[in-house]
Amino acid sequence: MTWLARALAGPMLWGALFSAVYALHGAGCNLGWTQVSLGPVDLHRGAMWAVWAAGLAVHVLLVVTMPAGQGRARRIIVAGSLIGLVASAFTLFPVIATSTCF
Amino acid sequence: MLAVPLLAACEGPLSTLTPAGPAAVEIARLWWAMLIGSGLITLLVMAMLWRALRRQSQGRPRLAAERRWIFGWGLGFSLAVLTVLLGFGIWIGERMIARDDDTPLVEAHAGQWAWEFVQPGPGGQPVTTQGVLYVPAGRPFDVAITSSDVIHSFWVPRLGGKMDAIPGHRNVHRLMAAAPGTYEGLCAEFCGLGHSFMNFEVVAYDPAGPLPDFADAEEGRE
Amino acid sequence: MTKGPRIDTRNDAIDTDAGIAANPPRRALPLHRELDEVWRDLPGWRGFFTSVNHGTIGKRFMATAFVFFAIGGVLAMMIRAQLATRDGAFLDTELYNQIFTMHGSIMMFLFAIPLLEGLALWLLPKILGARDMAYPRLSALGYFCYLFGGIVIVLSLLFGVAPNGGWFMYVPLTSKTYTPGINADVWLLGVTFVEISAMAAAIEITVTILRCRAAHMPLTRMPLMGWYLLGTAVMMLVGFPPLILGSILLEVERAFDWPFFDVARGGSPLLWQHLFWLFGHPEVYIIFLPAAGALSTIIPILSRTTILGYGALVAAVIGLVFLSFGLWVHHMFTVGIPHMALSFFSAASALVAVPTAVQIFAWIGTMWEGRVQFRLPMLYIIGFFATFVMGGLTGVMLAMVPFNWQAHDTHFVVAHLHYVLVGGFVFPMLAAIAYWMPLICGRWRVRGLGEAAFWLIFIGFHGTFFIMHLTGLLGMRRRIAVYPENAEFEWLNLVSSGFGMIQAAGFALFAFDVIMQWMFGRRSWRNPWQAPTLEWAMPLPAPSYNFASLPGPRQPDAGALLPLARGEGLLAGAPRGWRETLVVEPGSGRPQHIAVLATNTALPVATAGAIGSFFAMMLAGLYWLAPLGIVATLVVVWRWGAIMGTDRDHPLVEVAPGLSLPLHWQVRQTLGLTGTMVLLVADATLYGSLLFGVGFLTVVAPGWPAPESGIGTWWMLLPALAALALMAAGVVAARLAETRRTRAGGRLWTRLGLACSALALALLGVLGWGLDDPTRHARDALRGAVLGFAVVHGVIAVMLALRADVDARQGRIGADRRGAVPAWQLLQTFWLGTSAASVAVVAAQEVLA
Repeated sequence: MTWLARALAGPMLWGALFSAVYALHGAGCNLGWTQVSLGPVDLHRGAMWAVWAAGLAVHVLLVVTMPAGQGRARRIIVAGSLIGLVASAFTLFPVIATSTCF
Repeated sequence: MLAVPLLAACEGPLSTLTPAGPAAVEIARLWWAMLIGSGLITLLVMAMLWRALRRQSQGRPRLAAERRWIFGWGLGFSLAVLTVLLGFGIWIGERMIARDDDTPLVEAHAGQWAWEFVQPGPGGQPVTTQGVLYVPAGRPFDVAITSSDVIHSFWVPRLGGKMDAIPGHRNVHRLMAAAPGTYEGLCAEFCGLGHSFMNFEVVAYDPAGPLPDFADAEEGRE
Repeated sequence: MTKGPRIDTRNDAIDTDAGIAANPPRRALPLHRELDEVWRDLPGWRGFFTSVNHGTIGKRFMATAFVFFAIGGVLAMMIRAQLATRDGAFLDTELYNQIFTMHGSIMMFLFAIPLLEGLALWLLPKILGARDMAYPRLSALGYFCYLFGGIVIVLSLLFGVAPNGGWFMYVPLTSKTYTPGINADVWLLGVTFVEISAMAAAIEITVTILRCRAAHMPLTRMPLMGWYLLGTAVMMLVGFPPLILGSILLEVERAFDWPFFDVARGGSPLLWQHLFWLFGHPEVYIIFLPAAGALSTIIPILSRTTILGYGALVAAVIGLVFLSFGLWVHHMFTVGIPHMALSFFSAASALVAVPTAVQIFAWIGTMWEGRVQFRLPMLYIIGFFATFVMGGLTGVMLAMVPFNWQAHDTHFVVAHLHYVLVGGFVFPMLAAIAYWMPLICGRWRVRGLGEAAFWLIFIGFHGTFFIMHLTGLLGMRRRIAVYPENAEFEWLNLVSSGFGMIQAAGFALFAFDVIMQWMFGRRSWRNPWQAPTLEWAMPLPAPSYNFASLPGPRQPDAGALLPLARGEGLLAGAPRGWRETLVVEPGSGRPQHIAVLATNTALPVATAGAIGSFFAMMLAGLYWLAPLGIVATLVVVWRWGAIMGTDRDHPLVEVAPGLSLPLHWQVRQTLGLTGTMVLLVADATLYGSLLFGVGFLTVVAPGWPAPESGIGTWWMLLPALAALALMAAGVVAARLAETRRTRAGGRLWTRLGLACSALALALLGVLGWGLDDPTRHARDALRGAVLGFAVVHGVIAVMLALRADVDARQGRIGADRRGAVPAWQLLQTFWLGTSAASVAVVAAQEVLA
């Protein structure tokens, strides 16, 4: 059963990351973080970038530390890890450039 | 030959397919592109299905089949199409949304089951009207949408997308009528007994000409 | 009849070296009599009220769901009649609003969900190699909650007080101000009552799949249907709690004026939309997954091959289960959420099409690699492809934000959702019924009727809904009763209405066909599709006990029909006169113990009646009588526990030569304990949704900050901390009650734990007395809700502590027997954890204010 938990780690991380970035987005717009400058970007976008990048780093870690071996269980672990990485990259890429609070 | 009656069937005072403003034009264009793409994909899948039903398989190596169907079509093809489409979708949306610039603002206030509008009148003074919104043609305008009771939705199909009127919230929606004329609008979110009749009009006037009379909608227009 | 030509099952072979010897063969008929005596329902009307057998309950669920489908279908025809002309005078607007609301609600909550529950309950033990579901009484309880709730909802239509706010019940239209009658209460209370059955089924399906499989069937080798239903059940566990929470909050607002959604007092109507769609979108996949599971089961069999890409399909299920929780805002693209957030959900909505595409192409690939047989189920499968592919593509269109702004709330969306739901659920379910009917009734169908029904449904469906896309793009909104100024809609609607009638005729013919098959079909031979899966390793129609002996590694597939019937498998017969099934380790499928399941009892129907009395009094507005319903429920539920333990040690049972296992009373990891953990997952989601509500209203709702708080004084903190300390003491006592159960004075700990929990509950009452008036502001209402959550769990924890204490006194606790103590530990810990989190949230609000 631990293999199933390992396979679900990627999608779980996507869930946490997606919720975190969406919550940051909502909080930032309502608490005026766009007014706070943080070097080249504002605090709002900076915070979302940081969380997204950190999450993607953990995803990559999950992908590179996949156990070696054969069989269905391992294939499902590989698939789960990649689903997580692709989902986090694909669903959150709008943080790069879309307008934040309009 | 078939195209003429087909296009005629797409016309109507509420039709999103006879757009009259830049937002509606872009969305209609997106729709036609998606329709063609979807039509081709449907034909492709149906052709595959047809072939799969007719084939008498000779039992080829399963690994190659898995690679082709799952990785080729299932993952590769679908991800490629969706990535391109999503990029376009977000790009179009970005150009359409209301921003904090100097675009002139009108107000639309919804209540069961009528619309009240406030727009700049003679000398820039705000004028309140019932059931008719007056805007200059050829210029973008922002609509600040509010509600006093339940949720309604502001929609002028030939000018662009809809935006909800939610009590306690104020949503801003950017539209533009390319040419002078009268455009039908309506409440798109179910709001109770009078929902079917909660209509309004947008009158786009020529900004170079004389101002309109800012008359309310006639009683019982519906 | 001997086994037919076998399908190549090498890819799915189960490890046959697990070393379980075969039982000696016996004569099949005496074995059958012995088992049927124990497993069959009581005869006549008593059987209706007392049956707990999954076969009976599953069939009953499906039949009832189709009755509601017929009612929903009649309502659909009334809608089509009204819209056929632009000045439709068939219905007045109020009635029309009730009818479209009821059409949607019935199809979702009284047809689709119960039908998939029924299929799962009926099929799962058979396809996994067990004798029943993990909790037979819970199946029956779920059924009666569904039946009673459904009857109330439908009756409201006859009395003209049916819900009329649309099936997603947006506030403030459904608040007391704009819907003063009981219409909205019928929906909120009725649907929540019905959803008890959904939660019960979700828990049961999860535990059954994890622990009631054939011996040594590892998760990675179970039939794909198992994975699909596991995904469905997990989604239900996480998806339904937001809806249940939303319904409770709205009902409390309507009944007691606590302003969760009222903007004037710090609430927000958007909270309802978030909670509703947080359920509502996963719901679509909850409906789709079992249907997809049926397709993954039937397609390879009718293509005479094995499924292409087992691992890829499991991965697709995992992907769908997760991604479908990141789409809900695409129902809210027009509420004024900033474009970046919309883009997240737009991207997720597009991405969810990928696992769906993987499945579609895996199925087509399977057919491509095999030789397709044109049997009736295959016809419905072709109908599925032709319909669902288009529905999926319009779904991708609607995921694009700008297009959604135009198409939202128009008939384009109506067309899309019918393509998805009829394509992705109804067609596969009709295929599933055609496929499994011989196992249900033991008979073969009457030739010709099924094909005619299919063509009527298929042509009727596409005729109705294909042009409806255009109707929507021409600007026709949902939910309007008339369109006097829009002549251009009229011909489109008339066409839709005409084909709608054809479709209705098709469904009627389908029902007729099923009845004809049941009554007049010729006897089917065994395993008519020559399928490998275990549900066909039994005589037709399926006997009450499913398997005379349970399949193990020597009996991996349907080819083992005769050895199983002769008792060569595991746990042959019913020598102790109990309903027994095998419980395995979740991952590997290694046999662990034997569960003794409940037999015929009227307790479930009594419990459903007690719960129903609470809902009925709430509906009638008799709020002061409603607690009586709760008390009645607690009294009945107490009796469930009374038959769950034993006061003596039983010897090990030999399930096969050389393999002896304990009965479930003498192990710790029982089905009951696994189920409690699964229940707590759902419960934690409910609590998480409540915290989401607190965060959302605090940050987003107008009308904040809240007025001066009256509880920020030390004397409120004191009882709160004291209650937490007592709950923690209860956790310690529950722990010790288990570890020291055999020592002298071991009973002291259950008593002490009971006292701690009861005292903590009393202190929560003190806290309630000190709260600010919950009708004043949403913050105060939310604090009331959070406290209410703690009180409910306190009552449950106290009940379990009491159960453990009684178990200790009545000798149900011993060296191997633990009574209710492990379950009590779990609940007590959950109560402590959520209460501590609640105290922390309120403290943070006070400090930050």
